[in-house]
Amino acid sequence: MKLNRINVLSKDEILTIHSAAIELLSTVGIKIDAQDTRNLLEKHGAEVDQENTFVKFPETLVKEQLKKVPNSFKLHGPDGTFNFEVNTTSTQFATIGTPVKIYDLNNKNNIRKSLLDDMIKQIRVVDSLEHINNSHVDVWPNDVKYTAIHAHAMYQWVKNTRKPYGLGCYGKVASQDMINMASIVVGGEKELINKPRLVGFFNPTSPLHFPQIMTNGLSVFAKYKQPTIIAPEALAGSSAPVTLAGLLTQTSAETLGGIILAQLFNPGAPVFFGTVSCITDMRSGNSALGSIETTLITTGVAQIARFYNIPSRGPGSVTESKCFDLQNGFERLQTLMLAAQAGINYITCAGTYESTLAEALELLIIDDELAGVVKRLLEGITVNEDTIGLDIIKKVATERKPGANFLGEKHTREHMKNELYIPKLIDRNRRTTWRKKGSKDIITTAREKVDQILQNYIPPEIPVEIETQLQDYIKKVETRSLEYYKNAEGISTSSISIAGTEIKIDEK
Amino acid sequence: MFEESMKKAILEWDEDGLKKICLSTIENKEATPAEIIKSIGKIMQFVGERFEQEEIFLPDLVGSANTVKAVIDEVLDPAIKAIGEERETRGKIVIGTVETDVHSIGKDLVGSFLFSNGFEVYNLGVEVPAVKFIEKAEEVGAQVIALSSLLTMSMDFQRQLIQELEDRGLRNKYKVIVGGSPTSEEWAEQIGADGWADDAIEAVSLIKKLLP
Repeated sequence: MKLNRINVLSKDEILTIHSAAIELLSTVGIKIDAQDTRNLLEKHGAEVDQENTFVKFPETLVKEQLKKVPNSFKLHGPDGTFNFEVNTTSTQFATIGTPVKIYDLNNKNNIRKSLLDDMIKQIRVVDSLEHINNSHVDVWPNDVKYTAIHAHAMYQWVKNTRKPYGLGCYGKVASQDMINMASIVVGGEKELINKPRLVGFFNPTSPLHFPQIMTNGLSVFAKYKQPTIIAPEALAGSSAPVTLAGLLTQTSAETLGGIILAQLFNPGAPVFFGTVSCITDMRSGNSALGSIETTLITTGVAQIARFYNIPSRGPGSVTESKCFDLQNGFERLQTLMLAAQAGINYITCAGTYESTLAEALELLIIDDELAGVVKRLLEGITVNEDTIGLDIIKKVATERKPGANFLGEKHTREHMKNELYIPKLIDRNRRTTWRKKGSKDIITTAREKVDQILQNYIPPEIPVEIETQLQDYIKKVETRSLEYYKNAEGISTSSISIAGTEIKIDEK
Repeated sequence: MFEESMKKAILEWDEDGLKKICLSTIENKEATPAEIIKSIGKIMQFVGERFEQEEIFLPDLVGSANTVKAVIDEVLDPAIKAIGEERETRGKIVIGTVETDVHSIGKDLVGSFLFSNGFEVYNLGVEVPAVKFIEKAEEVGAQVIALSSLLTMSMDFQRQLIQELEDRGLRNKYKVIVGGSPTSEEWAEQIGADGWADDAIEAVSLIKKLLP
């Protein structure tokens, strides 16, 4: 049988959390900045406090809208030939994080600011991997004008991969740009809607707040039916209760709120019931994605998502480590393996470290290997007449010839690739052989693979007219000022408030 | 022509197919049994290279070697004897696992790769006392004695065999090679062996070097 899923909540406990989340939604509600979004909700029976901007979602509204949520959808690459399904039983692996730095052996600290060239390399490496099926705007191109990054990213996606892509649904202008550019590539909006190419990321601000820029973006992604990950990033002990049940309740309310909103924007809009919630480290105040509690939260969310029959998304391969040490290794495997065992349908964050602030292409290759290992784990043990193999045991055991063993048997050859995960990076040589091959650690082997992939990479061919249209589009985006975006999004302040911090927007 | 179909049969472990090809090749006088064995040696070298380049897996290699062995034993050797000749070999090797040690798989792999590379192999099995190795080597006129040991407890019997050869004044008559996971190049030097190999593929190249 296949590996049993791990659970951290009983059926009754899921119902208790569900009831508490509904109570939160209907009695406290969610603070929603956008006036038009509040109006839309009011039209559908929500109770809006226009003064403090909290919107209370009655239970009937939640129940009614949840019926419209699809439980499966497909994602396609630019030309549509590569595609995969996300459903409530799938285990897909993808990237994402917020890496603004990249591992660089040639730098004295082994780390430097990430650049457009790194972003391109990351997209190409993902394109070449066996198990990681999707990249997103992860590696931040610090050398590209901030207000045009999304347009450059879309262009590089088309130029460098056959796999789908993803971006934050950060505002309606940028989101519409991404939809427009994707439509140019795939031959129109209709094709894009029928065969979605882009994953959107909608992150509520915990506790219970949907900033205007996020709901603006969600409305666009929902309109074009591009699957959107509704994923709170709550931190137990700072932006959510320290109790994991409390965090699950609060984030369930936030996720349900986002999912309902997507359905109101466009009924049947595909969504993920997501999480990137973790804990607050009680010494430093930092987030701890690699903590064991993150896996408990992720497992709880997987169960809650199944309760609502919606595909789930959660983090894996996440670590707080700043180098390639054992912490990096055990935290990434612990979060990846347990997310898969929990039944998360779309596991993200491959290739990252330092709480996803840093990227390493070497780690991306290692995560692909780990994804292969984890997939094998999930398959469990197949028991049937052929796999029990009474005949072959008898044959080998009673063989008179010297040298009889199972290695040279057809049974072994027929079953080895299904029964055994055959690693690409993991070293199982004896020390002498390992020494002869250069005494390489896994990072070195992974780096060689990265170099090999990048050297041999053949990018997809793009028709000249599409390329020209995309470049023209980028030029148009590059002329816009930050002020233009703020006006278009209806954001009047010059700062964005994020749970206890204030980040000034500086156009320079 | 027959080489291509032989290669396919060897890679697919098609023992019956390989036998038929050999028989028809001999019958049509396309090649003599001895020439066929040489061709098989070349094919097995190709299979070994694919294995070393990680294109195929260990079972692929072992299965091909087993196929070749069955066909040589059952078809080609009898055909050579039938015309009153002896099979030409690259050398005779007596191989076994030393006293008190019952591990056989690694040693058998070495034996089967040596065989499919054109050596004549006398596999004495496991828990073989030193005297048995020596008696067999003397009997068949071997050039190499290959000793396997998988236990630290049994390693010393490799040293004892070399000592026994010296005591009998036979040390210079044979190349003695050792292998097995607790052994090493240093160990081989320490006990005065002529060589050490890490795996079956290496064992083949080592013996090719020792028997030019």
